[in-house]
Parts: sequence; structure tokens; C-alpha cells
Amino acid sequence: MALSAVTKSVSKFTYNTFFKRESVYFSTVVVGAVAFSIYFNSAVDNWWDNRNKGKQWKDIKDKYVKPAEE
Amino acid sequence: MFSRGTAKFFKSAVGSASKRFSTESNAKASASNLLFKASVATAVGSGISLWYLNKNTAHADMQADGLHPPHYNFPHTTLLGTFDHASIRRGFQVFKEVCAACHSLDHVHWRNLIDVAFTEDEVKELAAEYEYEDGPNDQGEMFMRPGKPSDPFPKPYPNEEAARAANAGAFPPDLSLITKARHGGADYVYSLITGYCDPPAGVEIREGLNYNPYFPGGAIAMAQNIFDGVVEYEDGTPATASQIAKDVTTFLGWASEPELDDRKKLGVKAVLLFSTLTALSLWIKRNRFSSLKNRKIVFNPPSNWNTPTKK
Amino acid sequence: MALPVKISASVINRTFFSTPNTTAAVKAVGATAAAKFTTHKSASKSSAVSITSASRTITNFTSSPKNIGYQQRFSSGFAAGPGSEKVPSFGDYTKERTNDSSRAFTYFMLGASGTVVAATAQSAVHGFLMNMSASADVLAMAKVEVDLNNIPLGKTVTIKWRGKPVFVKHRTQEEIDEANSVTIKSLPDPQVDADRTQTPEWLVVVGICTHLGCVPISDSGDFGGWYCPCHGSHYDVSGRIRKGPAPLNLEVPEYTIDGSTMVIG
Repeated sequence: MALSAVTKSVSKFTYNTFFKRESVYFSTVVVGAVAFSIYFNSAVDNWWDNRNKGKQWKDIKDKYVKPAEE
Repeated sequence: MFSRGTAKFFKSAVGSASKRFSTESNAKASASNLLFKASVATAVGSGISLWYLNKNTAHADMQADGLHPPHYNFPHTTLLGTFDHASIRRGFQVFKEVCAACHSLDHVHWRNLIDVAFTEDEVKELAAEYEYEDGPNDQGEMFMRPGKPSDPFPKPYPNEEAARAANAGAFPPDLSLITKARHGGADYVYSLITGYCDPPAGVEIREGLNYNPYFPGGAIAMAQNIFDGVVEYEDGTPATASQIAKDVTTFLGWASEPELDDRKKLGVKAVLLFSTLTALSLWIKRNRFSSLKNRKIVFNPPSNWNTPTKK
Repeated sequence: MALPVKISASVINRTFFSTPNTTAAVKAVGATAAAKFTTHKSASKSSAVSITSASRTITNFTSSPKNIGYQQRFSSGFAAGPGSEKVPSFGDYTKERTNDSSRAFTYFMLGASGTVVAATAQSAVHGFLMNMSASADVLAMAKVEVDLNNIPLGKTVTIKWRGKPVFVKHRTQEEIDEANSVTIKSLPDPQVDADRTQTPEWLVVVGICTHLGCVPISDSGDFGGWYCPCHGSHYDVSGRIRKGPAPLNLEVPEYTIDGSTMVIG
């Protein structure tokens, strides 16, 4: 019961805040797309780097880069 | 959802077809009809398969095709693995010190190594070890200058004729795309350079050729070049023959597919995004169709509904 | 959250023709009803078929089981003739109209798909646009490094950059003073020397005469800079046009000086 009440209030809030006006809804989608692509790309990149740890150039680069003052 | 709908669709199609084509129209007839059609489809399908298999019989002619290489676990040949870039770096050293004496690497430029296995400064030094012809200068003459990162790898021979003349008629192939160009890819390259052995009894190898079971025909002009300690690694990796072969194979794999790392990562992203989109569009289809599928048809029968019609 | 689609077509049919008790009988009714409907088409002129949305009309429906025999018509309880337009209730299958969460969920799902579509499309367009930018081999050739230690004071060196000659002039103090002493207003293309150099000692200009594209000769001409042999344009030690048909000063390319290394491009 409590859960359904929470669901109801949350969905009501979401609907009234984001979905009720077409302009706000569209803006939410556009802003969400930008945020989503940034988040998605960084998430996949992190997972990818973690999965291939130690093999990629950025992992072994430090061994070969000479100090800047040379 | 789809499977149930599809099954229903086919059932109704079979049912209506059986009604159309037979005088009997009951559930039993359509079921046996379906069974008959399924049997025919199975028979035709297995017939085609058997005919194809008969035409293309499995054969293992080691002498003609070469021994099939075993599968090795190169990280870059796995579904989601990148190149081992430390191995590319070592493999480049092997290529430069061993392979480059005879083999060219036309499609790779010095700059390609930057941020792959070497830093920019290191690549500049590597390139400057070689002389390149440039020009014309103010006097219209060609001149030699040290290499720059924008130059390609130096060629061991100026043309194919020179290469054949220097190698008793055999032409060392360009290695830029070798792991793509050979059946078996990296496994083949690794197996070939580690697979030299004495010819089995009864196999004659001409003078100047070498026996290698992985090479189609068995007789290869290239001699064994990879031995324990043929190079000395700067990072202290033990330079066993198999380590050297693995590193140079990784390097050649990178030369063939330098875009592999990015390509695989992009593939992961694309699969994730498009499966999300597929799931969402399926849900939206259900949502949009629900109002149609909820429709109710009410039939008001006429007043003479219950009166039987006379024949 | 409850999905809006719970009623499939078969459920509706079963409810509608739910007089018989067993599923098999329902199927039989369906078959005979379809057949009978076409047979009696001519007779049922006054019949009407109306479509209503399930959620709007909610009438309770009670059915009494009847025997369905062969050739039996629609003599069921709910389809008994005029005045009996009873509609079965779909109450069990419809949703509460007051439930806002389902509406919010629908909008959420639509918005989410729009978001993912937009992100994917953005990525695709980005990829296409990146495809149009200069390729790696062009970029690798686009920059030229010059070691300034190899250019002695007072000398001019010609360097090939993107197929064009570039003059790098190591100017002496006298030359710098001379370049600064010119009355700017008297020049055909007025420009201060400081605007043409990053450091006064090094002058970098593209060696193409602004008149008709000849390559001027270094360290010659009336003003100690360049002289174009084609039509007699004279440039000074700052590469500015002083005399002759050329309309503009020699072009200064983009370059950076880092210690003793100059990168043009």
C-alpha cells in the first residue's frame, strides 16, 4: 500500500513537472539525450578500460614518456 | 509476444488454407495438413543439405592446403579484447630487427605508431634513423633527408623484381595486411613462424626451400628466423621463440587492423543502444495498439433472428 | 506497474460468446457463427454493428448456459433480439481512470525512447561530420618543423610547406630597426612590423608574390627584402609591398616558436 502511494505521488510529480507541457517535455527529452549520451559513453568507456586493463597504450604509456625537462 | 502471435498467424493461415483446399474442415484435418507440410519442408531441407554436403565433401589434404593452425588466445582475437599494446611494441622491435630485412610494410607510416606503442618523441627518433629521398630542391635535384613521422616504413627492396632476385625467385609478401590476407589470420602467422620442422619420411624438399606443415604445399622459401633470443627486449621480457612469435604476430595484427580497438568499443555501444531501442519500440507498439485491440464490437441482431430460414 | 494491454483478441471473443461452458464449445460457436453470419446476411437488413471502446461502456452482463447444437443460431441470452443490447462488462480488464501512474509511465517510456533515439542520432551525425574532417595523413603533412639553430643571423631559408615555399628570415638588429622606421601611412598595404612577427628576429612569410603568384627572390630588391622577377614587385625586410604592381604584403602563415624549434602550420 505504502509503495503504491509512493509510486502514485512520484508519478504525479513527474507528470506535472516534466510531461504536462509539451515544451517542457520536449526540452526534457533533448537535455536528457545530451546527459544520456555523456553518461552512456563514459560508462561504456570505463567498463571497456577496466575490462582491458593493462593492455592499452594509456596503461603502459607512463613507462615510456620521458620527463618534460629533457 | 511475437512468437505467440506468429504461431497464431500460421495456425490460422494453415486452417484457412485447408478449408479452401479441402471439403473437410475440422481441426484434425488442419493438424494433419500442418504435419504433412512440415514433413515435406524437412525432407526438402535435409535433401538440399545432404546434396550440398555430398558436393562439398570434407577433405584434409595437408600437403595441398597446409595444416590447419590451432586456435591461440590472442587477446585481440577475442570478442571484446583490445590489442596488447606492450606486445605491439615488442613486436615492432622484432619486425624491425628480423622481418624488415626482407618484408615490406607499405601501408604503415611511422606516425601510425604514435600513441599506439611509442610516444611521439620515440617515433621521431625511430624515423630519423632512416634516410628518405625528398625533393626537388631549388636546383631541381632530389636529395636525401632523415625520416619524419609522416614517412612510410622503409622498403627492403625497391621493387618486386629486386626482391625476387635477392631471394632466389621467391617474393617476400608485404606484411601490412598479412593477418587479414591468410586463412587462419593470427593463428596461421604464429603457427607458420614457429612451425618449422624436419620433413616427414617420404617428403622431398627441394634445395633452397624449407619444410613447414602449416604452409600450403609444405615447402616454403622463407627459412626459420625466429629462435630463442634472436632479439633482446628492452622491457626484460624473456625472448623465447614463442614469445617473439607471439609479439610479432600481435604487431602484424595491429598493422592489418589498427582500428580494431575503437571498432570493438563502438560495436559494444551500438549493440547496447540498438537493443534498448528495440525493446522500447516493442513496448510502444503494444501501447499504441492496445486501444485498437481493446475495441469491442456489439452486434444488435434483427427481430427475425430466431426464425429459421426455409430452404 | 500494470501494462495497459491485458486483453487479447481471443479473450474478448470468449467473453462475448461465453454461453457455452467449455472451450471446445466456444470454438464450435465461433466456427458456426462465422458461417451463419454470412448465410443470413440478406435477412438481417435491420442489423447494426456498433463499435464502442471497452473502457467507456460498462454494463453488467450475465449469461446463461445454453446448448449449442449443429445448425443452432445465435439464440443465446445476450443476443436475443431487440431491446437486449446488453454489453458484457470488461471491468476486470480495464484500468482505473484515476490511476495517474500508468499515464506517467507511458509518457516516461515515450520520452525515454525519444532520448535514446536522439542520442543515437547525434552520435551518427557526429560520426559523419568527423568523416569530412582532414584525414590523418593530411594532418601529418600539414605541419613542418624548422630547427632555428640552423639558420644563421641575417640569412633567409626557404622551406616547403603544403606545397608552397615559406621564407624564414633571421633578421639582424639593423633590419628590425629599418622595418620599424618606415612611415606606416606611406605603405600601399599599411601594417606595423610587430603585427607581422611573433618575435622581432624571426620573420616567416609565404613566398608567393601577391600579384600573380611568382616566387620572389630573397635578399634582393630596393628595400633589402624580396624582389619578384616576374613583374618587379619589391618587398621590404618585413615582407611588406613597397614598390611594384603587387597589392598586398606577403602572407604570414600560422606558426609557433618553442625554444629553438619553429612549427609552421
